[in-house]
Amino acid sequence: MRTDDLIDPEVDRAIDTLPNRLNEFGYDPWGLSPRHAKVYFSLAKQIYRYFRPEVRGVENVPEGRVLIVANHGGQLPFDGLVIAVACLLLARPPRLVRSMAERWVSTLPVVNEAFARSGVVLGDPINCRNILLDDQAILVFPEGAKGSGKVWKDRYKLRRFGRGFMRLALQTGSPVVPVSVVGSEEAIVSVYDWQGLARLVKAPYIPVSPLLPLLGPLAYLPLPVKFHLRFGEPMRFEGPFDDEDAAIDRKVDRVQSTLQRMIDEGLAARTSLFF
Amino acid sequence: MAHVLVTGIAGGLARRVAERLLARGDEVVGVDYREAPGAAGPGLERLTVRRASYNKTSIEDVFRHRRYDAVLHLGRVGNLKESVGKRFDLNVVGTQKIMNLCVAHGVRRLVVLSTFHIYGAHPSNHIPIFEDEPLRAGVEFPQIADAIQLDNMASTWVYRHPEVSTAVLRPTNVIGATLQNTMSRLLRWRRAPYVFGFNPMTQFVDEDDLAAAVLAAAGGDQAGVFNVAGPGALPWRTALRLVGARPYPVVPALARAYSFATAAAPPYLLRFLMYPCVISDAAFRKAFDWAPKVALGEALRRCVGGGAAGEGAAAAPRAT
Repeated sequence: MRTDDLIDPEVDRAIDTLPNRLNEFGYDPWGLSPRHAKVYFSLAKQIYRYFRPEVRGVENVPEGRVLIVANHGGQLPFDGLVIAVACLLLARPPRLVRSMAERWVSTLPVVNEAFARSGVVLGDPINCRNILLDDQAILVFPEGAKGSGKVWKDRYKLRRFGRGFMRLALQTGSPVVPVSVVGSEEAIVSVYDWQGLARLVKAPYIPVSPLLPLLGPLAYLPLPVKFHLRFGEPMRFEGPFDDEDAAIDRKVDRVQSTLQRMIDEGLAARTSLFF
Repeated sequence: MAHVLVTGIAGGLARRVAERLLARGDEVVGVDYREAPGAAGPGLERLTVRRASYNKTSIEDVFRHRRYDAVLHLGRVGNLKESVGKRFDLNVVGTQKIMNLCVAHGVRRLVVLSTFHIYGAHPSNHIPIFEDEPLRAGVEFPQIADAIQLDNMASTWVYRHPEVSTAVLRPTNVIGATLQNTMSRLLRWRRAPYVFGFNPMTQFVDEDDLAAAVLAAAGGDQAGVFNVAGPGALPWRTALRLVGARPYPVVPALARAYSFATAAAPPYLLRFLMYPCVISDAAFRKAFDWAPKVALGEALRRCVGGGAAGEGAAAAPRAT
Protein backbone atom coordinates (compact mmCIF):
# COMPACT_ATOMS: atom_id res chain seq x y z
CA MET A 1 0.00 0.00 0.00
CA ARG A 2 1.33 3.46 -0.86
CA THR A 3 1.29 6.12 1.81
CA ASP A 4 -0.64 8.38 -0.54
CA ASP A 5 -3.61 5.99 -0.31
CA LEU A 6 -3.93 6.88 3.35
CA ILE A 7 -4.55 10.54 2.61
CA ASP A 8 -8.00 11.75 3.50
CA PRO A 9 -9.46 13.99 0.74
CA GLU A 10 -10.65 16.60 3.22
CA VAL A 11 -7.18 16.80 4.80
CA ASP A 12 -5.63 16.89 1.34
CA ARG A 13 -7.72 19.88 0.25
CA ALA A 14 -7.16 21.78 3.50
CA ILE A 15 -3.38 21.34 3.45
CA ASP A 16 -3.23 22.41 -0.19
CA THR A 17 -4.63 25.81 0.78
CA LEU A 18 -1.91 26.53 3.36
CA PRO A 19 0.36 29.49 2.59
CA ASN A 20 3.52 28.07 4.25
CA ARG A 21 6.73 28.91 2.41
CA LEU A 22 8.65 25.80 1.38
CA ASN A 23 11.96 25.12 -0.31
CA GLU A 24 12.35 23.26 -3.60
CA PHE A 25 12.14 19.94 -1.76
CA GLY A 26 8.88 20.84 -0.04
CA TYR A 27 10.18 21.57 3.47
CA ASP A 28 10.10 24.63 5.67
CA PRO A 29 13.14 25.40 7.87
CA TRP A 30 11.63 23.57 10.87
CA GLY A 31 11.06 20.41 8.86
CA LEU A 32 7.35 20.79 8.08
CA SER A 33 6.47 18.93 4.89
CA PRO A 34 2.87 19.26 3.67
CA ARG A 35 3.32 16.06 1.66
CA HIS A 36 4.08 14.08 4.80
CA ALA A 37 1.72 16.16 6.93
CA LYS A 38 -1.18 14.99 4.76
CA VAL A 39 -0.52 11.40 5.81
CA TYR A 40 -0.04 12.22 9.48
CA PHE A 41 -3.09 14.49 9.61
CA SER A 42 -5.19 11.80 7.89
CA LEU A 43 -4.21 9.39 10.69
CA ALA A 44 -4.82 12.14 13.23
CA LYS A 45 -8.30 12.64 11.80
CA GLN A 46 -9.13 9.02 12.68
CA ILE A 47 -8.08 9.67 16.28
CA TYR A 48 -10.06 12.94 16.16
CA ARG A 49 -13.17 11.02 15.13
CA TYR A 50 -12.62 8.51 17.94
CA PHE A 51 -13.16 11.35 20.42
CA ARG A 52 -16.23 12.68 18.48
CA PRO A 53 -15.37 16.31 19.32
CA GLU A 54 -18.04 18.94 19.57
CA VAL A 55 -16.35 22.16 18.44
CA ARG A 56 -17.71 25.65 19.09
CA GLY A 57 -16.34 29.08 18.28
CA VAL A 58 -13.67 28.07 15.78
CA GLU A 59 -14.55 31.25 13.87
CA ASN A 60 -12.85 33.11 16.74
CA VAL A 61 -9.47 32.09 15.31
CA PRO A 62 -8.40 35.25 13.50
CA GLU A 63 -6.36 35.36 10.31
CA GLY A 64 -2.64 35.94 10.70
CA ARG A 65 -0.51 35.46 13.77
CA VAL A 66 -2.26 34.06 16.81
CA LEU A 67 -1.45 32.20 20.01
CA ILE A 68 -3.94 29.45 20.78
CA VAL A 69 -3.81 28.66 24.48
CA ALA A 70 -5.45 25.54 25.90
CA ASN A 71 -5.65 23.40 29.01
CA HIS A 72 -3.42 20.34 29.02
CA GLY A 73 -4.23 16.92 30.44
CA GLY A 74 -4.78 13.25 29.75
CA GLN A 75 -1.13 12.08 29.75
CA LEU A 76 -0.76 11.95 25.96
CA PRO A 77 -1.28 15.08 23.83
CA PHE A 78 -4.62 14.10 22.30
CA ASP A 79 -5.81 17.59 23.25
CA GLY A 80 -3.21 19.11 20.94
CA LEU A 81 -4.05 16.68 18.18
CA VAL A 82 -7.78 17.40 18.34
CA ILE A 83 -7.23 21.18 18.38
CA ALA A 84 -4.84 20.92 15.43
CA VAL A 85 -7.27 18.82 13.37
CA ALA A 86 -10.17 21.12 14.26
CA CYS A 87 -8.19 24.18 13.13
CA LEU A 88 -7.21 22.46 9.89
CA LEU A 89 -10.65 21.13 8.97
CA LEU A 90 -13.05 23.64 10.51
CA ALA A 91 -11.30 27.03 10.58
CA ARG A 92 -11.82 29.31 7.57
CA PRO A 93 -9.31 29.61 6.03
CA PRO A 94 -7.82 26.29 7.25
CA ARG A 95 -5.03 26.83 9.76
CA LEU A 96 -2.04 24.63 10.40
CA VAL A 97 -1.28 25.32 14.04
CA ARG A 98 2.32 24.90 15.05
CA SER A 99 2.27 23.08 18.38
CA MET A 100 5.05 23.82 20.83
CA ALA A 101 6.60 20.55 22.01
CA GLU A 102 8.63 19.68 25.08
CA ARG A 103 12.37 19.39 24.57
CA TRP A 104 11.97 15.75 25.53
CA VAL A 105 9.93 15.07 22.38
CA SER A 106 12.96 15.85 20.18
CA THR A 107 14.73 12.84 21.67
CA LEU A 108 11.98 10.31 20.85
CA PRO A 109 12.86 8.25 17.77
CA VAL A 110 10.25 8.26 14.97
CA VAL A 111 7.91 10.52 16.98
CA ASN A 112 10.23 13.52 16.59
CA GLU A 113 10.21 13.10 12.83
CA ALA A 114 6.45 12.62 12.50
CA PHE A 115 5.89 15.68 14.68
CA ALA A 116 8.35 17.85 12.75
CA ARG A 117 6.83 16.91 9.38
CA SER A 118 3.37 17.78 10.74
CA GLY A 119 4.45 21.23 11.84
CA VAL A 120 5.25 20.68 15.52
CA VAL A 121 8.28 22.68 16.66
CA LEU A 122 10.41 22.73 19.78
CA GLY A 123 8.77 25.03 22.34
CA ASP A 124 11.50 27.62 22.39
CA PRO A 125 11.02 31.41 22.47
CA ILE A 126 13.06 31.96 19.31
CA ASN A 127 11.13 29.34 17.30
CA CYS A 128 7.89 30.73 18.63
CA ARG A 129 8.73 34.33 17.82
CA ASN A 130 9.91 33.52 14.29
CA ILE A 131 6.71 31.59 13.56
CA LEU A 132 4.46 34.35 14.90
CA LEU A 133 6.38 36.97 12.91
CA ASP A 134 5.65 34.77 9.88
CA ASP A 135 1.91 35.22 10.67
CA GLN A 136 1.34 31.60 11.59
CA ALA A 137 -0.76 30.12 14.40
CA ILE A 138 0.87 28.64 17.46
CA LEU A 139 -0.63 26.22 19.97
CA VAL A 140 0.72 26.48 23.49
CA PHE A 141 -0.10 24.70 26.69
CA PRO A 142 1.17 27.17 29.27
CA GLU A 143 0.76 24.54 31.99
CA GLY A 144 3.55 22.57 30.31
CA ALA A 145 4.26 18.94 31.08
CA LYS A 146 3.02 19.36 34.63
CA GLY A 147 -0.43 19.98 33.11
CA SER A 148 -0.29 17.00 30.82
CA GLY A 149 0.73 14.67 33.65
CA LYS A 150 -2.07 15.74 35.99
CA VAL A 151 -3.53 12.93 38.10
CA TRP A 152 -7.27 12.18 38.21
CA LYS A 153 -8.11 14.26 41.27
CA ASP A 154 -6.48 17.36 39.71
CA ARG A 155 -8.22 17.13 36.32
CA TYR A 156 -9.45 20.45 34.90
CA LYS A 157 -7.71 22.43 37.63
CA LEU A 158 -5.33 24.59 35.66
CA ARG A 159 -1.75 24.51 36.89
CA ARG A 160 -0.04 27.86 37.16
CA PHE A 161 0.57 29.17 33.64
CA GLY A 162 4.08 30.08 32.52
CA ARG A 163 4.79 33.64 31.40
CA GLY A 164 6.58 32.89 28.13
CA PHE A 165 3.50 32.88 25.92
CA MET A 166 2.38 36.30 27.18
CA ARG A 167 5.78 37.88 26.59
CA LEU A 168 5.68 36.51 23.03
CA ALA A 169 2.13 37.74 22.50
CA LEU A 170 3.20 41.23 23.61
CA GLN A 171 6.43 41.20 21.64
CA THR A 172 4.82 40.12 18.37
CA GLY A 173 1.43 41.83 18.83
CA SER A 174 -0.37 38.49 18.59
CA PRO A 175 -3.90 37.94 19.92
CA VAL A 176 -4.47 35.08 22.38
CA VAL A 177 -7.36 32.70 21.72
CA PRO A 178 -8.20 30.58 24.77
CA VAL A 179 -9.49 27.09 23.98
CA SER A 180 -11.12 24.90 26.61
CA VAL A 181 -10.92 21.16 26.04
CA VAL A 182 -13.32 19.10 28.13
CA GLY A 183 -12.98 15.34 27.92
CA SER A 184 -9.25 15.20 27.24
CA GLU A 185 -8.22 15.19 30.87
CA GLU A 186 -10.16 11.93 31.41
CA ALA A 187 -8.88 10.13 28.29
CA ILE A 188 -6.11 8.29 30.08
CA VAL A 189 -6.60 7.94 33.81
CA SER A 190 -3.61 8.41 36.06
CA VAL A 191 -3.77 8.22 39.84
CA TYR A 192 -0.09 8.56 40.51
CA ASP A 193 2.88 10.20 38.83
CA TRP A 194 5.83 7.85 39.21
CA GLN A 195 8.60 10.47 39.26
CA GLY A 196 11.30 7.99 40.25
CA LEU A 197 10.92 6.02 37.04
CA ALA A 198 10.34 9.22 35.04
CA ARG A 199 13.75 10.56 36.09
CA LEU A 200 15.36 7.27 35.21
CA VAL A 201 14.04 7.26 31.64
CA LYS A 202 14.29 11.07 31.37
CA ALA A 203 10.55 11.45 30.77
CA PRO A 204 8.67 14.39 32.31
CA TYR A 205 6.22 12.05 34.11
CA ILE A 206 5.09 8.42 34.20
CA PRO A 207 1.34 7.97 34.75
CA VAL A 208 0.13 5.01 36.79
CA SER A 209 -3.34 3.86 35.75
CA PRO A 210 -5.71 2.30 38.29
CA LEU A 211 -6.78 -0.09 35.53
CA LEU A 212 -3.24 -1.46 35.26
CA PRO A 213 -3.85 -4.67 37.31
CA LEU A 214 -6.97 -5.38 35.28
CA LEU A 215 -5.88 -4.44 31.75
CA GLY A 216 -2.09 -4.38 31.77
CA PRO A 217 -0.66 -2.07 29.11
CA LEU A 218 -4.14 -1.70 27.58
CA ALA A 219 -4.89 0.57 30.54
CA TYR A 220 -3.02 3.27 28.63
CA LEU A 221 -5.33 3.19 25.63
CA PRO A 222 -7.45 6.35 25.69
CA LEU A 223 -11.03 5.87 26.81
CA PRO A 224 -13.66 6.80 24.18
CA VAL A 225 -14.53 10.00 26.03
CA LYS A 226 -16.27 12.76 24.07
CA PHE A 227 -14.26 15.96 23.62
CA HIS A 228 -15.89 19.38 23.90
CA LEU A 229 -13.81 22.19 22.42
CA ARG A 230 -14.69 25.82 22.83
CA PHE A 231 -12.67 28.56 21.19
CA GLY A 232 -13.04 31.81 23.13
CA GLU A 233 -12.95 35.36 21.81
CA PRO A 234 -9.46 36.63 20.94
CA MET A 235 -7.85 38.49 23.84
CA ARG A 236 -5.48 41.35 22.99
CA PHE A 237 -2.81 42.66 25.31
CA GLU A 238 -0.64 45.73 25.27
CA GLY A 239 2.46 46.73 27.15
CA PRO A 240 6.20 46.05 27.17
CA PHE A 241 7.08 42.39 26.68
CA ASP A 242 10.05 42.70 29.02
CA ASP A 243 7.98 44.10 31.88
CA GLU A 244 8.60 42.78 35.38
CA ASP A 245 7.15 39.37 36.22
CA ALA A 246 4.35 40.76 38.39
CA ALA A 247 3.00 42.88 35.52
CA ILE A 248 3.14 39.94 33.10
CA ASP A 249 1.50 37.72 35.73
CA ARG A 250 -1.55 40.01 35.87
CA LYS A 251 -2.06 39.55 32.11
CA VAL A 252 -1.41 35.81 32.33
CA ASP A 253 -3.96 35.58 35.14
CA ARG A 254 -6.61 37.10 32.90
CA VAL A 255 -6.03 34.35 30.33
CA GLN A 256 -5.89 31.63 32.96
CA SER A 257 -9.08 32.75 34.73
CA THR A 258 -10.92 33.11 31.40
CA LEU A 259 -9.88 29.63 30.40
CA GLN A 260 -10.73 28.17 33.82
CA ARG A 261 -14.20 29.72 33.56
CA MET A 262 -14.68 28.27 30.08
CA ILE A 263 -13.63 24.84 31.37
CA ASP A 264 -15.96 25.05 34.35
CA GLU A 265 -18.86 26.05 32.09
CA GLY A 266 -18.03 23.17 29.76
CA LEU A 267 -17.96 20.71 32.67
CA ALA A 268 -21.27 22.01 34.03
CA ALA A 269 -22.94 21.72 30.63
CA ARG A 270 -21.69 18.20 30.08
CA THR A 271 -24.18 15.43 30.88
CA SER A 272 -21.98 12.39 30.33
CA LEU A 273 -18.36 11.49 29.97
CA PHE A 274 -19.06 9.59 26.77
CA PHE A 275 -21.93 11.44 25.03
CA MET B 1 47.24 43.08 -6.91
CA ALA B 2 47.36 41.85 -3.35
CA HIS B 3 49.61 39.47 -1.45
CA VAL B 4 47.63 36.76 0.26
CA LEU B 5 48.64 33.91 2.55
CA VAL B 6 46.35 30.87 2.57
CA THR B 7 46.75 28.16 5.22
CA GLY B 8 45.64 24.57 4.78
CA ILE B 9 46.79 24.61 1.15
CA ALA B 10 46.86 20.80 0.98
CA GLY B 11 43.10 20.84 1.35
CA GLY B 12 40.55 21.16 -1.42
CA LEU B 13 38.90 24.32 -0.18
CA ALA B 14 42.16 26.30 0.21
CA ARG B 15 43.16 25.30 -3.32
CA ARG B 16 39.82 26.51 -4.68
CA VAL B 17 40.33 29.81 -2.91
CA ALA B 18 43.94 30.09 -4.16
CA GLU B 19 42.77 29.39 -7.70
CA ARG B 20 40.32 32.27 -7.55
CA LEU B 21 42.88 34.63 -6.05
CA LEU B 22 45.47 33.77 -8.70
CA ALA B 23 42.91 34.14 -11.45
CA ARG B 24 42.30 37.73 -10.44
CA GLY B 25 46.02 38.45 -10.35
CA ASP B 26 46.91 38.19 -6.66
CA GLU B 27 50.21 36.82 -5.41
CA VAL B 28 49.39 33.77 -3.32
CA VAL B 29 51.50 31.83 -0.84
CA GLY B 30 49.99 28.60 0.44
CA VAL B 31 51.16 26.93 3.63
CA ASP B 32 50.32 23.60 5.21
CA TYR B 33 51.69 21.42 8.00
CA ARG B 34 51.27 18.49 5.64
CA GLU B 35 53.01 17.80 2.34
CA ALA B 36 51.03 19.80 -0.20
CA PRO B 37 50.91 18.83 -3.87
CA GLY B 38 52.59 22.11 -4.72
CA ALA B 39 51.74 24.13 -7.77
CA ALA B 40 50.29 21.12 -9.53
CA GLY B 41 46.91 21.57 -11.12
CA PRO B 42 45.44 23.99 -13.61
CA GLY B 43 45.08 27.51 -12.31
CA LEU B 44 47.67 26.97 -9.58
CA GLU B 45 50.87 27.37 -11.64
CA ARG B 46 51.85 30.61 -9.93
CA LEU B 47 51.09 29.35 -6.41
CA THR B 48 54.01 29.39 -3.97
CA VAL B 49 53.78 26.53 -1.51
CA ARG B 50 55.56 26.41 1.86
CA ARG B 51 55.49 23.63 4.41
CA ALA B 52 55.36 24.68 8.05
CA SER B 53 53.60 23.60 11.22
CA TYR B 54 51.38 26.46 12.37
CA ASN B 55 52.63 26.10 15.94
CA LYS B 56 56.36 25.95 15.13
CA THR B 57 58.91 28.66 14.38
CA SER B 58 58.94 27.72 10.69
CA ILE B 59 55.62 29.53 10.24
CA GLU B 60 57.32 32.75 11.38
CA ASP B 61 59.59 32.59 8.39
CA VAL B 62 56.61 32.38 6.07
CA PHE B 63 55.62 35.80 7.42
CA ARG B 64 59.17 37.25 7.22
CA HIS B 65 59.44 36.14 3.62
CA ARG B 66 56.73 38.49 2.42
CA ARG B 67 54.35 41.19 3.50
CA TYR B 68 50.74 40.04 3.23
CA ASP B 69 47.69 42.20 2.74
CA ALA B 70 45.41 39.39 3.84
CA VAL B 71 45.76 36.07 5.62
CA LEU B 72 43.12 33.39 5.07
CA HIS B 73 43.42 30.85 7.84
CA LEU B 74 41.53 27.95 6.33
CA GLY B 75 43.76 25.26 7.80
CA ARG B 76 41.70 24.06 10.76
CA VAL B 77 42.48 20.39 11.25
CA GLY B 78 39.40 18.15 11.24
CA ASN B 79 38.50 15.79 13.99
CA LEU B 80 39.33 12.55 12.19
CA LYS B 81 42.66 13.57 10.79
CA GLU B 82 44.86 13.90 13.87
CA SER B 83 44.96 13.00 17.55
CA VAL B 84 43.57 15.40 20.17
CA GLY B 85 47.04 16.53 21.21
CA LYS B 86 48.18 17.34 17.70
CA ARG B 87 44.89 19.07 16.90
CA PHE B 88 45.31 21.24 19.95
CA ASP B 89 48.83 22.19 18.86
CA LEU B 90 47.82 23.01 15.31
CA ASN B 91 44.36 24.47 15.84
CA VAL B 92 44.77 26.33 19.10
CA VAL B 93 48.48 27.06 19.53
CA GLY B 94 48.92 27.39 15.78
CA THR B 95 46.00 29.77 15.28
CA GLN B 96 47.22 31.92 18.14
CA LYS B 97 50.66 32.05 16.55
CA ILE B 98 49.26 32.98 13.15
CA MET B 99 47.13 35.73 14.68
CA ASN B 100 50.11 37.12 16.59
CA LEU B 101 52.15 37.11 13.41
CA CYS B 102 49.37 39.02 11.65
CA VAL B 103 49.65 41.75 14.28
CA ALA B 104 53.44 41.78 14.20
CA HIS B 105 53.59 42.03 10.43
CA GLY B 106 50.83 44.56 9.96
CA VAL B 107 48.37 42.28 8.13
CA ARG B 108 45.21 44.30 7.55
CA ARG B 109 42.66 41.55 6.94
CA LEU B 110 42.38 38.10 8.53
CA VAL B 111 39.75 35.48 7.76
CA VAL B 112 39.54 32.48 10.10
CA LEU B 113 37.57 29.45 9.00
CA SER B 114 35.81 27.90 11.98
CA THR B 115 32.87 25.47 11.79
CA PHE B 116 29.20 25.23 12.74
CA HIS B 117 29.97 21.96 14.52
CA ILE B 118 30.81 23.95 17.64
CA TYR B 119 27.12 24.83 18.12
CA GLY B 120 26.49 21.12 18.56
CA ALA B 121 23.46 19.12 17.46
CA HIS B 122 21.25 19.21 20.51
CA PRO B 123 17.58 18.33 21.14
CA SER B 124 16.97 21.83 22.47
CA ASN B 125 18.31 23.62 19.38
CA HIS B 126 15.85 26.09 17.98
CA ILE B 127 15.84 26.99 14.28
CA PRO B 128 17.76 28.88 13.08
CA ILE B 129 20.83 29.42 15.26
CA PHE B 130 22.52 32.83 15.20
CA GLU B 131 26.14 33.75 15.86
CA ASP B 132 25.78 34.94 19.44
CA GLU B 133 24.34 31.69 20.77
CA PRO B 134 26.00 29.21 23.13
CA LEU B 135 28.39 26.62 21.72
CA ARG B 136 26.89 23.42 23.07
CA ALA B 137 29.06 20.85 21.31
CA GLY B 138 31.62 20.61 24.10
CA VAL B 139 29.06 19.60 26.70
CA GLU B 140 28.77 16.09 25.38
CA PHE B 141 31.88 15.83 23.25
CA PRO B 142 34.93 17.32 24.96
CA GLN B 143 37.08 16.08 22.08
CA ILE B 144 35.79 18.99 19.99
CA ALA B 145 37.34 21.43 22.50
CA ASP B 146 40.12 22.41 20.09
CA ALA B 147 37.60 23.66 17.51
CA ILE B 148 35.66 25.60 20.15
CA GLN B 149 38.81 27.16 21.53
CA LEU B 150 40.05 28.09 18.07
CA ASP B 151 36.75 29.85 17.43
CA ASN B 152 36.69 31.56 20.85
CA MET B 153 40.25 32.77 20.44
CA ALA B 154 39.59 34.18 16.98
CA SER B 155 36.31 35.76 18.11
CA THR B 156 38.00 37.48 21.04
CA TRP B 157 40.76 38.59 18.70
CA VAL B 158 38.18 40.48 16.64
CA TYR B 159 37.79 42.91 19.53
CA ARG B 160 41.23 42.81 21.09
CA HIS B 161 43.07 43.64 17.91
CA PRO B 162 40.95 45.95 15.80
CA GLU B 163 44.10 46.84 13.81
CA VAL B 164 43.80 43.42 12.16
CA SER B 165 40.31 43.42 10.78
CA THR B 166 39.20 39.82 11.45
CA ALA B 167 36.22 37.86 10.17
CA VAL B 168 35.52 34.43 11.68
CA LEU B 169 33.39 32.20 9.46
CA ARG B 170 31.33 29.30 10.77
CA PRO B 171 30.20 27.42 7.68
CA THR B 172 27.69 24.59 7.73
CA ASN B 173 28.57 21.23 6.08
CA VAL B 174 30.90 22.10 3.22
CA ILE B 175 30.69 19.55 0.43
CA GLY B 176 32.40 19.16 -2.91
CA ALA B 177 34.00 16.71 -5.29
CA THR B 178 37.52 17.80 -4.34
CA LEU B 179 36.93 17.77 -0.57
CA GLN B 180 37.96 14.94 1.73
CA ASN B 181 36.08 16.09 4.83
CA THR B 182 33.87 13.65 6.72
CA MET B 183 30.59 14.87 5.26
CA SER B 184 31.75 14.81 1.65
CA ARG B 185 33.17 11.31 2.06
CA LEU B 186 30.02 10.11 3.83
CA LEU B 187 27.89 11.30 0.91
CA ARG B 188 30.11 9.52 -1.60
CA TRP B 189 29.61 6.14 0.06
CA ARG B 190 27.31 3.73 -1.70
CA ARG B 191 25.77 2.87 1.65
CA ALA B 192 25.51 5.61 4.23
CA PRO B 193 24.26 5.61 7.82
CA TYR B 194 21.28 7.32 9.39
CA VAL B 195 20.19 7.11 12.99
CA PHE B 196 17.00 5.08 13.32
CA GLY B 197 13.95 7.24 13.99
CA PHE B 198 15.75 10.53 13.30
CA ASN B 199 15.91 12.60 10.15
CA PRO B 200 17.01 16.12 11.01
CA MET B 201 17.02 19.11 8.68
CA THR B 202 20.58 19.44 7.38
CA GLN B 203 22.30 22.26 5.50
CA PHE B 204 25.02 22.00 2.90
CA VAL B 205 27.14 24.59 1.15
CA ASP B 206 29.03 23.86 -2.05
CA GLU B 207 32.84 24.23 -1.98
CA ASP B 208 32.72 26.84 -4.75
CA ASP B 209 30.14 28.87 -2.87
CA LEU B 210 32.24 28.71 0.28
CA ALA B 211 35.34 29.70 -1.68
CA ALA B 212 33.39 32.70 -2.95
CA ALA B 213 32.30 33.43 0.61
CA VAL B 214 35.91 33.36 1.83
CA LEU B 215 36.90 35.74 -0.96
CA ALA B 216 34.00 38.04 -0.17
CA ALA B 217 35.05 38.07 3.48
CA ALA B 218 38.68 38.68 2.52
CA GLY B 219 37.69 41.61 0.35
CA GLY B 220 35.30 43.13 2.87
CA ASP B 221 36.12 45.18 5.92
CA GLN B 222 33.49 44.05 8.43
CA ALA B 223 34.95 42.36 11.48
CA GLY B 224 33.00 39.79 13.46
CA VAL B 225 31.75 36.24 13.61
CA PHE B 226 29.55 35.01 10.77
CA ASN B 227 27.61 31.85 10.01
CA VAL B 228 27.68 30.66 6.40
CA ALA B 229 24.63 28.47 5.80
CA GLY B 230 24.26 28.00 2.05
CA PRO B 231 21.07 27.58 0.05
CA GLY B 232 18.78 25.84 2.55
CA ALA B 233 18.02 22.72 4.55
CA LEU B 234 16.63 19.29 3.80
CA PRO B 235 16.26 16.07 5.81
CA TRP B 236 19.35 13.88 6.03
CA ARG B 237 17.75 10.85 4.40
CA THR B 238 16.46 13.01 1.55
CA ALA B 239 20.04 14.14 0.97
CA LEU B 240 21.17 10.51 0.90
CA ARG B 241 18.48 9.65 -1.61
CA LEU B 242 19.51 12.56 -3.82
CA VAL B 243 23.10 11.33 -3.98
CA GLY B 244 21.88 7.80 -4.67
CA ALA B 245 23.27 6.29 -1.47
CA ARG B 246 21.50 3.35 0.14
CA PRO B 247 20.76 4.44 3.72
CA TYR B 248 21.15 1.93 6.54
CA PRO B 249 19.96 2.50 10.10
CA VAL B 250 22.12 2.80 13.19
CA VAL B 251 20.28 2.30 16.49
CA PRO B 252 20.60 5.50 18.58
CA ALA B 253 21.88 3.66 21.64
CA LEU B 254 24.65 2.11 19.57
CA ALA B 255 25.63 5.27 17.69
CA ARG B 256 28.82 5.75 19.68
CA ALA B 257 29.83 2.12 19.35
CA TYR B 258 29.14 2.33 15.62
CA SER B 259 31.30 5.41 15.33
CA PHE B 260 34.26 3.75 17.06
CA ALA B 261 33.84 0.48 15.21
CA THR B 262 33.68 1.91 11.68
CA ALA B 263 35.53 5.23 12.09
CA ALA B 264 32.98 6.52 9.58
CA ALA B 265 32.31 9.67 11.50
CA PRO B 266 33.34 11.03 14.89
CA PRO B 267 30.62 10.47 17.52
CA TYR B 268 29.77 14.18 17.72
CA LEU B 269 29.00 14.13 14.02
CA LEU B 270 26.49 11.32 14.42
CA ARG B 271 24.56 13.66 16.70
CA PHE B 272 24.11 15.85 13.63
CA LEU B 273 22.21 12.93 12.10
CA MET B 274 19.82 13.03 15.08
CA TYR B 275 19.19 16.66 16.00
CA PRO B 276 18.98 19.72 13.80
CA CYS B 277 21.68 22.37 13.81
CA VAL B 278 20.26 24.81 11.29
CA ILE B 279 22.12 28.11 11.22
CA SER B 280 21.22 31.54 9.84
CA ASP B 281 23.69 33.43 7.65
CA ALA B 282 21.58 36.56 7.29
CA ALA B 283 24.37 38.64 8.87
CA PHE B 284 27.02 37.32 6.49
CA ARG B 285 24.91 37.87 3.39
CA LYS B 286 24.19 41.43 4.44
CA ALA B 287 27.77 42.28 5.41
CA PHE B 288 29.48 40.86 2.33
CA ASP B 289 26.77 40.88 -0.31
CA TRP B 290 27.20 37.15 -0.83
CA ALA B 291 24.61 34.55 -1.82
CA PRO B 292 25.10 30.90 -2.71
CA LYS B 293 24.91 30.14 -6.43
CA VAL B 294 24.72 26.34 -6.22
CA ALA B 295 21.30 24.95 -5.22
CA LEU B 296 21.10 22.20 -2.61
CA GLY B 297 20.36 19.36 -5.00
CA GLU B 298 23.11 20.42 -7.35
CA ALA B 299 25.64 20.78 -4.53
CA LEU B 300 24.88 17.22 -3.44
CA ARG B 301 25.18 15.84 -6.96
CA ARG B 302 28.45 17.70 -7.55
CA CYS B 303 29.88 16.27 -4.34
CA VAL B 304 29.37 12.71 -5.46
CA GLY B 305 30.57 13.47 -8.98
CA GLY B 306 27.19 13.43 -10.63
CA GLY B 307 27.95 16.64 -12.51
CA ALA B 308 25.83 19.74 -12.50
CA ALA B 309 22.32 18.60 -13.25
CA GLY B 310 20.20 21.59 -12.31
CA GLU B 311 16.98 19.68 -11.76
CA GLY B 312 16.04 21.06 -8.35
CA ALA B 313 12.38 20.37 -7.75
CA ALA B 314 12.21 17.69 -10.43
CA ALA B 315 14.44 15.53 -8.26
CA ALA B 316 12.24 15.95 -5.20
CA PRO B 317 12.01 12.62 -3.43
CA ARG B 318 8.95 10.57 -2.65
CA ALA B 319 7.30 10.23 0.74
CA THR B 320 9.11 8.88 3.82
